[in-house]
This record gives sequence, C-alpha cells and structure tokens, in this order.
Amino acid sequence: MDALYNFVLIYMVYFSVAVFLVGTTLRLVKIFRKPKQATSLQIYPEKRAKWLGAIYDTFLFPSARKHKPVLWVFLIVFHACLLLLIIGHLELFEEFKIFQLIPHEVFLGNGFLGLIFCVTLLYFLFRRLLSPVRELSVPEDYYILILLFLIAIFGSQMDWARSWYGYEEMVVGDYRTYLLNLLTLKPEVPYNVLIAGHSFMLVVHVFFANLFLIFFPFSQSMHSFLSLPMNKLRRG
Amino acid sequence: MDQNTRNDLLQLFREKLNSAMTYYLETCTRCGICTEACHVYASMGQVKHISAYRHEIVRRIYKKYFKARGKVWPSVGEAKELNETALEELYESAYSCTGCRRCMVYCPFGIDTQMIMSIAKLLLIGAHSEPEILTLLADTSIEKGKSLDLFKESFMEGVKKLEKDVVKKWKMEAGETAIPMDVVGADLLFVALAGAHSIIPTAAVFNAAGEHWTLSFFEAVNFGAFVGDPTRTQLILDRILNEAKRLKVKEVCICECGTAFRVMKQLAADQPFKVSSITEVHARYIKSGRIKLDPSKLNGPVTYHDPCQIARNGGVFDEPRYILKHLTNDFREMSPEPKYNWCCGGGGGLVALGEDTLDFRMKSARVKADQIKTTGVTTLVTACENCHTQLNNLNDHYQLGVNVKFLTSMVADALMQ
Amino acid sequence: MNEEIKVDKTLDLKGLPCPMPILKTSRGIKEVEIGQVIEVLSTDPGSLADFPSWTRSSGNELLKTDQSGEVTKFYIKRLV
Repeated sequence: MDALYNFVLIYMVYFSVAVFLVGTTLRLVKIFRKPKQATSLQIYPEKRAKWLGAIYDTFLFPSARKHKPVLWVFLIVFHACLLLLIIGHLELFEEFKIFQLIPHEVFLGNGFLGLIFCVTLLYFLFRRLLSPVRELSVPEDYYILILLFLIAIFGSQMDWARSWYGYEEMVVGDYRTYLLNLLTLKPEVPYNVLIAGHSFMLVVHVFFANLFLIFFPFSQSMHSFLSLPMNKLRRG
Repeated sequence: MDQNTRNDLLQLFREKLNSAMTYYLETCTRCGICTEACHVYASMGQVKHISAYRHEIVRRIYKKYFKARGKVWPSVGEAKELNETALEELYESAYSCTGCRRCMVYCPFGIDTQMIMSIAKLLLIGAHSEPEILTLLADTSIEKGKSLDLFKESFMEGVKKLEKDVVKKWKMEAGETAIPMDVVGADLLFVALAGAHSIIPTAAVFNAAGEHWTLSFFEAVNFGAFVGDPTRTQLILDRILNEAKRLKVKEVCICECGTAFRVMKQLAADQPFKVSSITEVHARYIKSGRIKLDPSKLNGPVTYHDPCQIARNGGVFDEPRYILKHLTNDFREMSPEPKYNWCCGGGGGLVALGEDTLDFRMKSARVKADQIKTTGVTTLVTACENCHTQLNNLNDHYQLGVNVKFLTSMVADALMQ
Repeated sequence: MNEEIKVDKTLDLKGLPCPMPILKTSRGIKEVEIGQVIEVLSTDPGSLADFPSWTRSSGNELLKTDQSGEVTKFYIKRLV
C-alpha cells in the first residue's frame, strides 16, 4: 500500500508536472512561432482599446453572457472557483502575504468552493448530454469534465472526510512538509500524510490531478493560454 | 484514396497551419454558444450546420494527422481519416457556409469559421472536387489579366455604348468623356463588375462629383476567393494592382461587391494607393457637398442589408446609413446591432453557383426573409452584387413584396443637376 | 457575314449580368458536338472581355465577335 501511495504521491507527480510544464511550454512555443496570419481577422465595428477589449473578452466572456446567460453564470463561477482553488494550493506551499489581504484560513471555504466547482462541472456535463451540444461533443469533452469532477470532489471533501477520523491528523503543516519535500527533491511522504484515515482521499485526488496534468498540453484546455491571442485577433 | 493523394492533400493542409489557424484548431471547447449564430442552422435546424460542428469536420482530420494524439489515442477526439467520405463531408460543410463570420461574434474565443473552412476548400481543390464552375470563372478572370490586348479595343468600344445612358443620368459638357478608361494619372480607379448595371450609375455619380476617375478593364469579383484558392485569388487581384500602379492612381474604389472589397482591402494593405468601397466614396461626396441628392425620389420605408464582407468583415457601417439619411426620412434598421445582421445566404460563392444552389439558398435563408418581413419596408437596399441577387431570389421565393435596390443606383437616380 | 458561319445552337443571354453569360455558355456548349458552333447573344459589356478570355482558358475557339448592333454576338466553336 505504501509503495502505491509513494508512487502516486511522488514519482507520478514528478512525471505529470514535468509533462505538464515541458509539454505546455513546447507546444506554446511551437504554436507561437508559426508564421503569422498575413491578413486581418478583425470583426467590425472597431473599438479603440484593442488590448483592453481582448482582455475583457477573454476573462469575462461577454458573448456568452449575451447569448447563453445561464451558461455564462456557471462559466464565471467555474473559472472563479478554479482561480481561487489554484491560489489555495499555492498557499499550501507557504503563506503568501498578498493572498492574505483578505484574511482567511487555508483552504478558503473549507471545501465549500470545491463543491460549488463540482456543481458547475455537473451542469456542464448534463448540458453536454442534451442536444445540440451532445452532437457537438467528442469523448475528450466528457473525460475532462469527469476528471475535473473527480479531482475536485476528492480534494475538496478531504476536510469533511477528516472529521470522520481524527480531526487533528494531516493538517496544513503536513501538506507543507509534503510539498516542500517534493520541491527540494526529497522523495519522502510525511508519516502523518500516509497514516491518516482519509489519506486515500488525497491519493485519489493527486492521482486524477496527475492524469489531468498529463493530458492538459494535448487537450482543448490549452485555451487557457490561447484565448487571449485569439480574442486579440478578433479585436484587430 | 491512395497514399500519394492523401500526402499531397495533407501537405496543402500543413501550408494552412499558421499561428492563427492553429489557435482555432486547438481551442474549440464545443461549448455550443455558437449554436444560434449560423443562419443555416437557424433556418433549417440541422446540427451539421452549427459552426462548431463545421470546424470539427476539419479538426478531426487535424487531430488525426497533426497531433501526436491522433496516433496514440485517436478516439478521444474522434480523429478521422482523410478519405473520400471525409471529402464529401468537407464539401457539404464548406459549401453550405457563406463565410459571413457571424459565428465569430458569438464564439467566446473568436474562432473564425470562414478561415477553418478555407482548409476544407483548399483540400477540395487539391482533390479536384471543388465546384468546377468557380474554378472556371476564376481561370477566365486570370486569363483576362494575361490577354488584355486581345479584348482591350472591343471592350472599350462596348463601354462607349453605355455612355449615352450615363449622360441620361448626369448631363455633361460637350467633349467630356462619360466613361473614361486607361487614364494615366487619374485620381481614382473604379473597379466595376463589368456589367452595365454596375458601371452606368456609378459613372454618373463620379461625373456629378467632378471626380478625375478611370474605369478598370477588369471585374472586381474574385472567384479565386470563393473557391478558396490563395494562388488564384492573388493572380486575380494582381491584375487590378498592376493596373492601379500603371495608371498611378491615388485610390482604388471597389464597386458593390463584398468579396472584392474585403479581398482588396486586406491583401492590398501596403500598396501606394488607398482602397475604398463605392459606398465610402459616395458618403464622402455628400459630406463635402460634391453631390446633392433629392430626397423626394424615394417613397415608403427603407431598410439596408449590411453585406457581411463589407460591414462585419470590412468595417463599413456608418457610410450607407449616412447616404440613406439623405435619401429617405423613413429608414428602419434590420438588426438592432448591425454586426449581428443575418447573412443573406448567398455568400461564399453560393450565388455564383446559380440555380444549383437555389433551393438550398432559399431554405437556408428563411431567417433572413423573416427579418426583412419584420421591418415592413417597401424598399430593401444593399451594396453587394451577391446579396442583391440572393435578396431578389428571396423576395420572389418568400413573396416579400419589396423592391430590392443597389445603393449606388439610388444615389445616381437622386442626383440633382 | 453570318452566313459564313454555320450556327448549330443559339444561346440568348440578353439582359443577364456578369458572370451569368459565361456560366450559361459553359453549360450550353456541352449540348453541341465537338467541332460545332454556338452563337451567343449578350447585352452585357463585360462579355466583351469575358468571352475571349473564357475561350482561351477553356480551350474553345472564339470565331467572331459581332458588335455592330445593341446586342453583341459571339460565335464559339466547341473544341473540347
């Protein structure tokens, strides 16, 4: 069992992060270095603030708000949760002053945010099962949603699962030790993390997160990086 | 399909993969926000006409041959082999898309469906499966550029015959040429559609404004762009670029032809002359008082159909409305926001394919017909040959009871001597 | 003059704008045998440029262009 835990929590993490970082960087470099489109791809009427407009389009999805308002609410909540969850994970490495501008405990919301995140994923998933989005979808669209759901449900409910067992086991400090070990290339999972009753939650969470990281550079998730340049093309 | 053909086609595909195209092919999340954007889907309700589905037909081939995934795990993205069936799908998708780019306004990423369809069109040319009429027309245009001397005299003679009709609309002093051609040092080169209806009214307006202009020997329309062939598109464009440089004009003015205007505006961006649409030039004449229009010529409510390539894709929105303000006081907008205007359903070469596409063009543009009906107008104005033909067909088919007019001929008819 | 050329088929394309004359002609010419001649009537001045170019690019032969009246007459021999 320990061997399996060690594999998922250490070696697979190294591998996945490497694939994610190298894959994403290489793919982006390759795409950005392709020849530029010679002609304008702009849509008119033209607005003055092109970069500002492109940033607005990229982060607030005004076209979605206009044409699919319900979907837009879920999209905004989904992406906002995603951002907060990423910040939460950064805080597991160490305390960042800037994030504590609004004082909070790690994790913000004690798993509640993750639950909301899961609800939005369920909405996306069921939306995909209805026509016409059903006909538009390909397997990867479902896989990514399911993967994210599994990551989030096991990740966010660790706090809840902890209450079944000893609540004092596996606290933020233990995660920090674990992640610091990973960062300093000390392949060692802290005892507390391995022994806790809800360790399996962490292992499952990390396992699916690894899968997601591996798939990321090759999937449509790359829109995280490509959306801005594309929106800039449309703005001119 | 044998391996050699496939390799040739994939090479054509590869040539299209610049950075913008790669963004478009990598990104779509099939969110379906574009569902209602396409007039074909809105009119006919078939999923294959949703823009995301159209992309996916090209994207599946991309996933198969240009992504590692296509070899390791093709089923995850439904990667698809390039074969005869795929070509049929590409044809159906590319030639039911008018390239109006309305879906690009909807897409949260701004994916350009017309651009993705250009891959489909290029593959079809490579496989000799494109609509041959379009290639025939493109080749005729290119040949014209090569054999100007062959028809120069007879064409000038033919144009001369039109002069009396021009003078009917705008009287001129004795000794002045109503339709000047081949004038070195003219200010403006007018590229018409080599048809009387496109030359006569515009000539009258130029003469009324006292423009120092000259008529091009070539027609503006670019069939190379319709068939999606970059080489032919450039060759057809070069005829006009060369003529403009030879005559040392300051401005090239494109007649009422959407494709011609967009192609010229985009591909001739770095030329020593300015590119304008005839609508922009007419608005300029009115603004500076070079021509005066009689608003009493037109009765009843009027609406304007924004040709996609001129408005949404070319940026000319205000000028036609400015002109119409001088022609009528009952102008009605068709769409609350002009960039959301429905395509007439005739772009992308569909009108040029004539009766072959008529049935599809009528069915796929039902929403356009409804939009016109809602305005309750008696006069429907547009500034594009393709749109004009298609709107006329719609008028007959749906019995809209409107009078479909070119903006230029309305300006010419309202000239005050 | 016209008697010199034996016309096998006449296409009346008067009043049609560009590019319809070329389109209709490229279809119409398929209805005569190779070596036969069609006569095309057009009122579109663009045809004066279109037909010489189209016959060259399509490999047919433009025998004669008669511009004497309001209607222009083209005599085209089908070669392909």
